[in-house]
Amino acid sequence: MLERLEGLRIIANAQALDAAVWPNGSRVFRLAADDVFLLGDGEVHLDDPHAIVELETGFSGMSMEPAAALDWLESTCEWELPGQRPAFAQGAVAGLAVKLWFDETEVFVMTASALAAELEERMP
Amino acid sequence: MAAFTFDGSSVPFDSGDSVLLALRKAGTIPGGTLCFAGDCPHCVATVDGVSYVRMCQVSCRDGMTVEPHPVGGAPPLPDGTTAHTAPLQIRHCDLVVIGQGESGSAAAAEAIARGRRVITLDSKQGADAIGIYAGLTVLARSQYGLERIHCDDVVVATGAAEIQPVCTGSDLSGIYTARAAEYLLAHGVDLGTVVAVGDPPPGHASVSGQLVRFEGEGRVAAVVTRDWDGTEHTHPCDTAIVGLGLHPRDALFRMARDLGVTVVGDAAIDATIPPPPQAGTICPCANVTADDVKNVWDRGFHEMELMKRATLAGTGTCQGMACLPHLRSLLADLGGTVQPPFTARPVTKQITFGEISAGAHLRAYPRTALDGEHRRLGAEMDRIGGWWRPWTYGDTEGEYWAVRNGVSIGDVSTLGKMIVTGPDSAELLERLYPTRIAGIKPGRSKYVLILDERGYVLDDGLVCRDGEYEWFLTFTSSGATFAEMWVRDWAESWELDVRILNRTMSLGAINVTGPHAKELLERVGLSDPPSYMGHASAQIAGIDCRVFRLSFTGELSFELHHAIADSVELWRALLDAGADLDLRPHGIDALLKLRLEKGHILVGQDSDFDSTPRRLHHEWAVDLSKEFFVGKAATIRTNKAPLNKQLVGLTMDGPAPHEGAVIWSDGDYNGYVTSSTWSPVTEQSVLLGWLHLRNGELPTEATIEERRAIVSPVPFYDPDGGRARA
Amino acid sequence: MNEFIEAKVALQWQQPKAAYDVVIVGGGGHGLATAYYLATRHGITNVGVFERSYIGGGNSGRNTTVIRANYGIPEAVRFYQRSLELFASLEDETDRWIMHNQKGLLWMTHTEHGMRAEKARAAVNTAFGAKTRYVEPEEIKEICPQIDLSGGGKFPVLGASYHEEGATARHDRVVWALAEGAMHRGVHVHQRAPVTGLLRDGDRVTGIETPDGPVSAGVVVSAVGGHVTTLASMAGLRLPIRSHPLQAFVTNHYAQAFDAIAASTDLLFYMSQTARGEMLLGAEIDRQPSYSYRSGHHFLESCAHRAMTLFPFLRDLRILRQWTGICDMSPDYSPIMGKTGVDGFLVTTGWGTWGFKAIPVGGEQMAQLIATDKTPELIAPFSLDRFARDRTLADRGSAGTH
Ligand SMILES: Cc1cc2nc3c(=O)[nH]c(=O)nc-3n(C[C@H](O)[C@H](O)[C@H](O)COP(=O)(O)OP(=O)(O)OC[C@H]3O[C@@H](n4cnc5c(N)ncnc54)[C@H](O)[C@@H]3O)c2cc1C
Repeated sequence: MLERLEGLRIIANAQALDAAVWPNGSRVFRLAADDVFLLGDGEVHLDDPHAIVELETGFSGMSMEPAAALDWLESTCEWELPGQRPAFAQGAVAGLAVKLWFDETEVFVMTASALAAELEERMP
Repeated sequence: MAAFTFDGSSVPFDSGDSVLLALRKAGTIPGGTLCFAGDCPHCVATVDGVSYVRMCQVSCRDGMTVEPHPVGGAPPLPDGTTAHTAPLQIRHCDLVVIGQGESGSAAAAEAIARGRRVITLDSKQGADAIGIYAGLTVLARSQYGLERIHCDDVVVATGAAEIQPVCTGSDLSGIYTARAAEYLLAHGVDLGTVVAVGDPPPGHASVSGQLVRFEGEGRVAAVVTRDWDGTEHTHPCDTAIVGLGLHPRDALFRMARDLGVTVVGDAAIDATIPPPPQAGTICPCANVTADDVKNVWDRGFHEMELMKRATLAGTGTCQGMACLPHLRSLLADLGGTVQPPFTARPVTKQITFGEISAGAHLRAYPRTALDGEHRRLGAEMDRIGGWWRPWTYGDTEGEYWAVRNGVSIGDVSTLGKMIVTGPDSAELLERLYPTRIAGIKPGRSKYVLILDERGYVLDDGLVCRDGEYEWFLTFTSSGATFAEMWVRDWAESWELDVRILNRTMSLGAINVTGPHAKELLERVGLSDPPSYMGHASAQIAGIDCRVFRLSFTGELSFELHHAIADSVELWRALLDAGADLDLRPHGIDALLKLRLEKGHILVGQDSDFDSTPRRLHHEWAVDLSKEFFVGKAATIRTNKAPLNKQLVGLTMDGPAPHEGAVIWSDGDYNGYVTSSTWSPVTEQSVLLGWLHLRNGELPTEATIEERRAIVSPVPFYDPDGGRARA
Repeated sequence: MNEFIEAKVALQWQQPKAAYDVVIVGGGGHGLATAYYLATRHGITNVGVFERSYIGGGNSGRNTTVIRANYGIPEAVRFYQRSLELFASLEDETDRWIMHNQKGLLWMTHTEHGMRAEKARAAVNTAFGAKTRYVEPEEIKEICPQIDLSGGGKFPVLGASYHEEGATARHDRVVWALAEGAMHRGVHVHQRAPVTGLLRDGDRVTGIETPDGPVSAGVVVSAVGGHVTTLASMAGLRLPIRSHPLQAFVTNHYAQAFDAIAASTDLLFYMSQTARGEMLLGAEIDRQPSYSYRSGHHFLESCAHRAMTLFPFLRDLRILRQWTGICDMSPDYSPIMGKTGVDGFLVTTGWGTWGFKAIPVGGEQMAQLIATDKTPELIAPFSLDRFARDRTLADRGSAGTH
């Protein structure tokens, strides 16, 4: 089951995001040059007075066991997955916009909450 | 012994046999020169409900059902009740080698030795390449199902096919190509008395002279040849073997030549052009004879493509594998030049709908966070503006009155929402919108149109100001995705320093509307509601909200925007708090009625490709004194053209006509209805519609569905807006 | 000879002349129909048609052959209804079998919004003489028994507009019947004769350039498809056209059993069974403008899947071939026909995904314009200057394919 995630969404200029110091233990998903989704608690210091920092509950996610995830992705993901760990990647999976976080212990699968039910139907 | 059913009888087979081989062993064999290589069309049959399967290409399975292909006809459409499904596998590699004969194996081995990731495909190993597409992507069907292989290079090593004989009697059974005969002999099949022509398989001598015809009743009984001096010789036989040369199986290469695909081995050879056929069937799939080709040629169809289209030769199940060499030969004979083969197109191996759509999905429609709530309340859900939304909770009339007389809530989470900040944010919005933005004070909002460069209305929404550099924009539900591209594109082309965040899917929005809306919200903690067209942050039922005061329904309304994680809690809190106010939610059906009474347009329903603000009576939303905005030049230009039609309000007695109904003036077509509903509160039908001007004037009345309609000012209800501003 | 082999048409090829009264660039349906109607209706036969490949080699030989008049605005309904009528009598008139077959067209919808649109279509069609009515699911099932009204449980069919006069005809045969009819009366049709430039005398177009030399003309008509903007730019015209690929595919041949033409607005596909028994499917244009004739696998996978949602019987049908045409799309989904503001240069273009059905009427009207030098009333709304005059045609109702 995909669970709704609670994090911060940060839109700022790319240099500010490159230089930002993220809270310890947080997960930083760089969705675009100017766009970060941050999971974790703590203060964020950014050098961009115009940055947009908003509570973000628009994504849902779930953790998958790596072997099972790769198996599923083999029949649903058209693009080549990153080989290194950890890695973040995003693109169409099973016809939906999906974000993937890979590390040694899990594959974390995220999508817009509005499409979570749809993605679940397309999962094993 | 294992067996399958053919035409109702049981046929035994040895493990590993193809269906065709098993049939040959059993002595039942279709007519035509069989190739046993998947090239010719003669052995197609219906296998387990799938027609046009070549029996030489499927291995026997115990219990399978094979029906012969109807002679001279087509199989019936299946009913689709078989449970054939296939999974999808997506693979990546450096090189795909198609064909694992000598040249293909060598190409694969060489690449592997160089450390390349190689995937090989071969029909003999159960993996058919279906087509090569841009990407590069190779589509294949294997024992895994459908395979989509993404790669950098492809080597086509599909070999060559043997040329079929074309002469009288070539449709008899008992005729084999040289390779087919060799294959049958290797499998211990007794061919009886054999007569070979052309290049025979090893161990057989061929008769001299040119092949003239085959003789026999159903089965071949003799081969007739002719010497150079015209003498014919009849060679009685049980089996005829023809070795007429090769033509490359290069369709995969030809369809992808310009994608950098290479071809090796026999697939790269120059095609043998056989002697021009004098009689017999050239194209067995479409049943085209040599005489037919000559006849059509004589009537001016000289180009290969025209010949193909006029005779349909090459358009059948083997896609020209059988007929192409002979067509080229005959056209060269008739016209003096050898024409190129016709265009190679996917698919090169036939594939079923079920197989090809493995892993395909229908378009996904997002759901709001309240989707479960709507369903629980028994709402009839519909796809609206790209989302699943509640059309009605079953009592549109009751939902409507709840808004007009009491209080109601509606899920408007699908609204397009966007945050824009940055030093150039005001500049961006000033250029994007046709109205003045700079004057909007923090905490205030303004209704806006979005125009395209041609001055036509793309969308509408609100601009809400939060601070000097902070803005919140709304768009229509169906316009939101496009709006994001639109805003980003312009910001980038103008190189403005802004930050943009689309909040459509992150923020929920609940519209609290009706005369008792304020009372309800007070109960859940809104003590200081914003004034009309204002907005403010507030805690409602303990949830952080941003409250927008505006009105689409015509009643006092507050839109509560909040993180979607809180939508359900907020929705339920409102329902609870309003229970004694007879609070009930309203669906889209009721909402459309309510807004129509107010004359609010729905962009996309009431507007069209050519809707200028002037045609929509929205000149007030355009300020031509601004220095610049997208669509300004076009608006000035179109304003000079005489106005020809406008969106107007209409009222009628009696039931509402259909949306889309034609509007007539003096018996002439004069427009059509875009929105129409019975208005319970004004007790008449109220409509919006396009009306053409006649002699420069809008008619004052019209005929719709044979009844009188009066052109009426909008809003139809509460014209001075007192209720919304209350 | 089997019945599907073209048995009668005889094409007479001639050597090009140095001058014609009328030069038509493009030997597709529209170019040849213009020539045909010039010859048969106006006795104008000193006409040369120049085709860069073979006749019908463009979209006129690649389309899915749907003929219908169920458009969304009066100008279009009237125009296509005229074509429907011309199509219905074309076999008698030319004494050639074009496999014209009135099948009825069902346009299915799965949403409230879609129902509203199909009802609107029926209303405007009826007002202008096209036979279209809104039908409920039970009747849909009667017209098309193979349909799964539940849409696989995902896209239930809520209703449809039913256009009784919807028809199909064999595309190539239409092209040939018109070519033959024109040639027979003295028109020259030249294949492998690309037009590489336009001759101009001041602002006036006076002929064409070809690899075999210049050919002068009283009037030049552009009936080219696929690259129309290139030719028009030689006359100094910028056309509001973007070219997009449109794909289609067919299955093998099956016994006749699927009588209607079926389409779905929400699932975005349409389908019919050809005279020879193939199931023929098409969908929407590729979003990305392109001149590439390369077919895509994604289209095939997705279109097959969508069609199967309504027609589960397709599951075990074997797909034989897919192909692509390049469609010249106008901004308002309507053709651009007639005078261009450049003397001696007329266009018939913007045929997008919908121009096969318009071949007879398009030719008839262009011929009348050439013969009389007056824009016929039926095509006046389609003139190029409509965009500058703010008279864009808003045909939201037919912003679909086929
Ligand atoms: C897959 C597909 C499905 C379709 N389905 C339908 C349908 O169901 N119903 C429908 O009504 N319409 C349909 N269409 C649209 C229809 O096919 C076209 O609108 C119609 O064929 C246009 O005819 P035409 O004569 O204008 O163009 P074409 O047939 O393309 O002819 C233009 C000709 O101009 C030639 N040419 C181009 N440049 C030059 C030059 N410089 N010199 C000389 N010659 C030149 C080309 O070679 C071509 O032969 C479909 C199109 C496609 C691609």
